Amino acid sequence: MGYLVKLVRWLDENAEKTVIVVAYATMAAIIFVEVIRRYLFKEQAAWSTTIPVYLFLWIAWVGAAYNVRKRAHLRFEEFRGRMSYGWQFAMLMLDAVLWLVMAAVVLRYAVEYVQLLEMNWAIVPGTDSVMQWWFYMATPIGWGLLVVRLMQNVWEDVSDFRNGRPLRMSMNLNAD
Amino acid sequence: MESLGIILVSLAGVVIFMLGVPIMLVIGLWSIAASLLIDLRLANVSFTLFEGLNFFGLLALPLFILTGDLINAAGIAKRLTEFAYSVLGWMRGGLAMAALAACGLFAAISGSNSATAATIGSIMHPEMKENGYDGRFSAATVAAGGVVGIIIPPSIIFTVYGFIMNQSISELFIAGLVPGIMMVMAMMVAAWFFARRNKWGTIIKLDPVRIIKTGASAWLGFVAIFMILWGIYTGVFSPTEAAGVAAGFCLLSGIFITRQIKLREIPSILMKSGQIAGILGPLVAVSVVMQQVLSALGANEVVADFITSFGGYYAVLFACMAVVFVAGMVLESLPVTLILAPILGPIALDVGIHPVHFGVVFLVGAAIGFITPPYGLNLYVASSVTGIPYLRIVPYILPYLFALLTAWLLIALLPELSMYLVGLQRDSLGLTPY
Repeated sequence: MGYLVKLVRWLDENAEKTVIVVAYATMAAIIFVEVIRRYLFKEQAAWSTTIPVYLFLWIAWVGAAYNVRKRAHLRFEEFRGRMSYGWQFAMLMLDAVLWLVMAAVVLRYAVEYVQLLEMNWAIVPGTDSVMQWWFYMATPIGWGLLVVRLMQNVWEDVSDFRNGRPLRMSMNLNAD
Repeated sequence: MESLGIILVSLAGVVIFMLGVPIMLVIGLWSIAASLLIDLRLANVSFTLFEGLNFFGLLALPLFILTGDLINAAGIAKRLTEFAYSVLGWMRGGLAMAALAACGLFAAISGSNSATAATIGSIMHPEMKENGYDGRFSAATVAAGGVVGIIIPPSIIFTVYGFIMNQSISELFIAGLVPGIMMVMAMMVAAWFFARRNKWGTIIKLDPVRIIKTGASAWLGFVAIFMILWGIYTGVFSPTEAAGVAAGFCLLSGIFITRQIKLREIPSILMKSGQIAGILGPLVAVSVVMQQVLSALGANEVVADFITSFGGYYAVLFACMAVVFVAGMVLESLPVTLILAPILGPIALDVGIHPVHFGVVFLVGAAIGFITPPYGLNLYVASSVTGIPYLRIVPYILPYLFALLTAWLLIALLPELSMYLVGLQRDSLGLTPY
């Protein structure tokens, strides 16, 4: 049991971070090395224009889940910041419901699409045996994680609200 | 009936936006609701969230974000700043002007606005205060200087704009160069006036030895700037490749030359960039969906008919500028671009404004939104870097705002400022001229 708890804790802290750091480093390294190779040796791997893009998609959708947990997605905050405590809680619940609606639509069709690619043995352009559906899992896994992260936030918010603690509204992050 | 439904759904979108629902979610849900109304398959939404980003050119986005974080960690910014001061310090207000010039130089490597303001701000603010400048003015200076972060190439927002508007990202970059330099110069003039009137700052002698010394120690910065601009201008690199090379260069020089990046810090640098990419990527993806829905609706034609009924070229140009300016007061540049560009771009094209020129005009306006209250991102960044409350900085931003608006007007009225270099480049590549 102890190990399991530790594993879950570790995943809670590091799941997205690990995926993002590995994908980011690999993506940047492929582009950098391949530009140099193309410039100096006039050769370039055919998959170097496809796989980095897929890695970016993993960063984007796993990052979306991470930013839900960190409450860092861009939003307009002027009015919400001035609302009363009860209203602020209601707004957090509204966010949660809306996220769930969107996640439901995205997940339903994303899973279908991945299955289709798997059945068709679709292969990444420029490779012999790398399956496309591995990469297309970015959307269903990202959105699945997003729902898990959302539930964690809702849990936090409800318990904050019940105990009258200040609500965690958002984290400021300068995205441009 | 259908159009009534669309209007109601759009109103609902505005309401939940005002209530502070994340912008990505607002755009996504609007697209879903509108798809249902006009019988577009919902599978398309899910599909486009992947395929909409599945484009090599878009990789410039995460790579330039990474470059910005790496150049910062490598300590290159500090050296560029010292060089700028040695060149400009002999004038009254020289330190403020150096801060602005340093923003310009930093912007030529980094594609980000707030990184520019935060980096140069944390270096320059203490020095400006020590030199007798009013702290509020110095905060305003870096806030304003950061604006050019996304105009002088490379630029994250130009990349996004080129991607969603189907314009060449290289050409947009090249078109932004002269307008960006002009904006820096306009702000320098404002700084000079202001500092002279208030007798701020000490004056240092113009010392060629010092210029050469600081210039030499900033060589890494110049190499990076040269590589990016030369690579894009000559077409040797695509913007994505230029971004990859710049990121690799900054990383390697940070590890081996300036020795300010430790290997164990790399994951946290990547994570910092990753979090930003995890905000921007999904936003761009839902915007692609929105654009598909808009074009299925034929909304662009309706809006275009409406606006072009007011008049021709100049009426449309100024109307678009006004819309962008007002939107920039309450929104960040990225949502402004993602929401308004697909609507205004085709209208501008309709009355004969060149799409690349319009892109520059649009984005300069969106960038000015960084320092316009009530919501001016750079004012918040400058406030958090300097510790001076947001509202105290606002009055001191006005001279800079005036300078930038003047530059914006010139950029809008004189297309040659943006298009001349683009024309030269097309000539040199043997492409058809515009």
